[in-house]
Amino acid sequence: MKIIYSDALVVGGGLAGLRVATGVKERGHNVIVLTLVPPKRSHSAAAQGGMQASLGNCVMGEGDNEDVHFLDTIKGSDWGADQKVARMFTHCAPKAIRELAYWGVPWTRVRAGEHSAVINAKRVTLTEKQEAHGYITARDFGGTKKWRTCYTSDGTGHSMLYAMDNKAQEDKIEVHERLEAIALIHENNRCYGVVARNLMNGELVAYVAKATTIATGGYGRIYSVSTNAIICEGIGQAIALESGVATLGNMEAIQFHPTAIVPAGILVTEGCRGDGGVLRDVDGYRFMPDYEPEKKELASRDVVSRRMTEHMRKGKGVKSPYGDHVWLDITILGKEHIEKNLREVKEICENFLGIDPVKEWIPVRPTQHYSMGGIRTKYTGESQTMQGLYSAGEAACWDLHGFNRLGGNSVSETVVSGMLVAEYISDFLDSKESAIDINTKTIESFVQKEHQKLEELLGKDEGEDAYELRERMEEIMMQKVGIFRNGVELQEAVDELQELLKRSKNIAVKRSKSRGANPALENAYRTQKMLKIAVCVAYGAFLRTESRGAHSREDFPKRDDANWLKRTIVRWDDENATLPEVSYEDIDIASMELPPGFRGYGKDLTSHHKDTQKRVEEVEKIKQELEQKGANRFEIQEALMPFKEDLPKKYRGFNERLGGIE
Amino acid sequence: MRFDKKEAYLDLLQSGTGIFLALFIMGHLVFEASILISNEMMYKVTLMFEGFYLFGERHAWIISVLAGIVLVVFITHALIALRRFPADYKRYKIIKHHTKSFAHEDTTLWSVQVATGFMMFFLGSVHLVMMISTPDKIGPFLSSYRVVHEYMWVVYFLLLLSVVTHAFIGLYRVMLKWGIFESDDPKTYRKLLKSAMRGFIVLYLFLGLASLAKYSYIGMTHNYEKTKIYKEVTQ
Amino acid sequence: MNRELTIDILRYDPNQPEIKPYIASYKIQEQVGMTLFVALNEIRKHHDSSLKFDFVCRAGICGSCSMLVNGKPSLACKTLTQKLDSHIRLAPLPVFELIGDLSVFTGNWMRGLNERLESWIHHKEEELEVDKLEKPMDPDVADDVYELDRCIECGCCVAGCGTLQMNENFVGAVGLNKIARYQLDPRDKRDEKEYYELVGNEDGVFGCMTLLGCEDVCSKNLPLQSKIAYLRRVMAKTALKKKD
Repeated sequence: MKIIYSDALVVGGGLAGLRVATGVKERGHNVIVLTLVPPKRSHSAAAQGGMQASLGNCVMGEGDNEDVHFLDTIKGSDWGADQKVARMFTHCAPKAIRELAYWGVPWTRVRAGEHSAVINAKRVTLTEKQEAHGYITARDFGGTKKWRTCYTSDGTGHSMLYAMDNKAQEDKIEVHERLEAIALIHENNRCYGVVARNLMNGELVAYVAKATTIATGGYGRIYSVSTNAIICEGIGQAIALESGVATLGNMEAIQFHPTAIVPAGILVTEGCRGDGGVLRDVDGYRFMPDYEPEKKELASRDVVSRRMTEHMRKGKGVKSPYGDHVWLDITILGKEHIEKNLREVKEICENFLGIDPVKEWIPVRPTQHYSMGGIRTKYTGESQTMQGLYSAGEAACWDLHGFNRLGGNSVSETVVSGMLVAEYISDFLDSKESAIDINTKTIESFVQKEHQKLEELLGKDEGEDAYELRERMEEIMMQKVGIFRNGVELQEAVDELQELLKRSKNIAVKRSKSRGANPALENAYRTQKMLKIAVCVAYGAFLRTESRGAHSREDFPKRDDANWLKRTIVRWDDENATLPEVSYEDIDIASMELPPGFRGYGKDLTSHHKDTQKRVEEVEKIKQELEQKGANRFEIQEALMPFKEDLPKKYRGFNERLGGIE
Repeated sequence: MRFDKKEAYLDLLQSGTGIFLALFIMGHLVFEASILISNEMMYKVTLMFEGFYLFGERHAWIISVLAGIVLVVFITHALIALRRFPADYKRYKIIKHHTKSFAHEDTTLWSVQVATGFMMFFLGSVHLVMMISTPDKIGPFLSSYRVVHEYMWVVYFLLLLSVVTHAFIGLYRVMLKWGIFESDDPKTYRKLLKSAMRGFIVLYLFLGLASLAKYSYIGMTHNYEKTKIYKEVTQ
Repeated sequence: MNRELTIDILRYDPNQPEIKPYIASYKIQEQVGMTLFVALNEIRKHHDSSLKFDFVCRAGICGSCSMLVNGKPSLACKTLTQKLDSHIRLAPLPVFELIGDLSVFTGNWMRGLNERLESWIHHKEEELEVDKLEKPMDPDVADDVYELDRCIECGCCVAGCGTLQMNENFVGAVGLNKIARYQLDPRDKRDEKEYYELVGNEDGVFGCMTLLGCEDVCSKNLPLQSKIAYLRRVMAKTALKKKD
């Protein structure tokens, strides 16, 4: 048996994983990164539009700061987010972007003087200040008060990931490619690493570490159509779940992006609308202003996706062999803008639709895009229930996004959570607690168990076809756990998924029997894991009898703070069960900086919690008192919800902006 | 790693000698084509190179010297270019397979250059050595004699084919190699160069073949008396 | 209207060396808008589940799925079958280590290249201060750097490079493009002499024979010819300037 030891182990080589790895290494610990694919091929590269950070350099971003970013994020989350985490995040986002600029991301820059832009379908002229010339600029994105989304053309994720991986190479981070973690190694609620399978030769390797970080991204591929890369299968969450100890949070919180092309499901960035593109129906009519007169196409993603679906249900969609869609019109932005700032979009349209977006409209519809849920962690990134297990980025439910993530906050989260979690892990590694206390026999038993599972799959000649089960799962998720959900369909989904899960125990890998690289075998064990994730999503959605953010119940259209201001927590400790054990974690209103309120979309249907009013008054009172005393915004914030003490010391400083610190 | 200037110099030298030789060939074939205008014209051109208009008398050794310089540049170019050739049979097989399966024009053109380079190395040397050793045997009739009666037309025909294609493919490549006269739009620039390359190859082949035909015609129809072969004919 | 496609795939599994490389032929029904991503998954699902190939983003941005399509290095995910003949030949990229069938190990090759060329920003003395304003950068320069930063390390230029076929130590267009990118970037404080030490040789820019396979197969349509020419000029000038 091969055992590889390290201080820290990171599963996943995307932005979050690499940032954790470099941070830990910088603190003097050795670290190994396991990845399915070369790090530069990770799904982080697909983020097009940008990264939110309140730099406030461009004229439409002036006056932006951590506070505004915080408000936008909390509102966007429909008050589901952890406010302390959101504060830590918005405070560190400018630091993270500056760090990335230092490491080589070119970022598109402010150009002093006049330039033309499209706002609300009209061409306007903006004038950028001389002193901002050459600093990082930003574009408009949905659900934000300021232009805050910093970008590199529409290849933001790509340029970030490349800079990050180059930095990791500079730091000589050890990366083991094409290794898939298939089980956690753990004992007494303490994680000691993973059992990994080498995808090139089938070898099982035990990676034993003091701290293990899961940074494997989302689980979008449980849906048949998703903007996610095909490696986003939720295996990271699944192995945490299968430990029976670690918990997952808010798995039902799934974001649908308004604009993925039809039928391929490939994303075209929110930047299209941020830069002035509009949505049109079958008649060429711009319908969003009718639904959301204020934010129109730039309402939060969940809102736009629902409005598009509503409009199509009214018969206003464009019929196609692949179902209804609407049009995204960016022709108004002009050739020059599209070729400079939306070139990936242009290439995607040319390659996959055979159209030129400079002249033609793009067929789009809402498509599964992001998993707000994931491995439930403390603000330190450590699992709430398993010591030594950490998670960062989309894989985690850190809980920055609550029930709806703002565009541009995902890549931002990867690097911010990466830099913070790296520090907390390092603190843990520096402590005596981190010592590895597991004997080789136990490690071996974990490897042996995985070996047997694989042998069983390969050994059978008769049994279920994994491809068939998986296809059915994807269809169920698509049809019954989509944008609009209801109790009847969710019940059907849960029942049928449980049935599939039972059948998956009897999967046989037919014909393709190689013990080396074997795609059929991989599909088989992944399907078993994915089904568990799918059950968690559907079951969580079924139980949550309210509508919050992206979770929208037709039979329970109200946001119900009185009963549902809480996170869904799932655990799977019985291997033979077909449903997870569900519990709920209350979100404490009394410590909120921004007490629950109205998001500002459609009618206010919220049924408020009894503590809300009290906290609203408290917050108001503290604010007034301090303002009278002449306190600055930092002091007021500190009084409402202190968070800096919990930040690593090196990241506590105030962020400088062009106008100074205030 | 060490700071080694050698490779830079070799690369510059290969390109420089290549450009020199290509320009030389462009001129050479044009002067050669003076035969198409008239025998007198060709003779005058010969006289010009022999320094007749400068010194008032003929110095054939000037041609020897010029041909000598070209030969040196030619050999230099060939020797430097040789380092680009497949080092062993295995590599040769690999590149041959690559060229065939890739079916990419500019890669294929390179094998054309290798082939024509080989041909030229022998044919060109023969031609140059002849010019150095017997520079006085140039002229409308003397040259024609050589073409027809000494069977040099075979050499010239093959040399013409290889030299023209090699020169213009080489020029095309060297321009792209260094970005000479590159515009803001490199993709269009390359397309333009490619068309120019094709155009020049056709033009120069036409010019060269026509000249060769004329020499052959003269060679076949002119009445050479043995004694008169080495004497001037005009004037 | 819908054609029947015949897809010939060069197959070999290094884990089973007893089976010599062979060509497997599959027949599938073409669909509207079908890409090789769809076609290959169809084959894996319905014909042979052991067929190995790599896709990640399936949107032409990650560079995982490069392979020889009718001899030409291409990204399979964005290759529409309708643009090809009904008889399609697929083979793995040459040069790279073969994992099996159409799957090659580009990761270690690129990693080796990046380490060799030290393809990261060299700040030298300048320290990062995360609380302070970022360093301003000329907007045009930032755009130019991004233009070259768009490389996705797909390996097509490596597979299409005649020079690399004969000299396995050659850095390829991907490597030269990287150096051009850092040389343009004002944040990288390496001087021309240091770049010369990296690529001023036969394995670097002076080894390039300008066959331009790279330029013609680049999946991101990068101006490789132009940038290699630029780098060659800079490096030649450096050699001419430097006193021994």
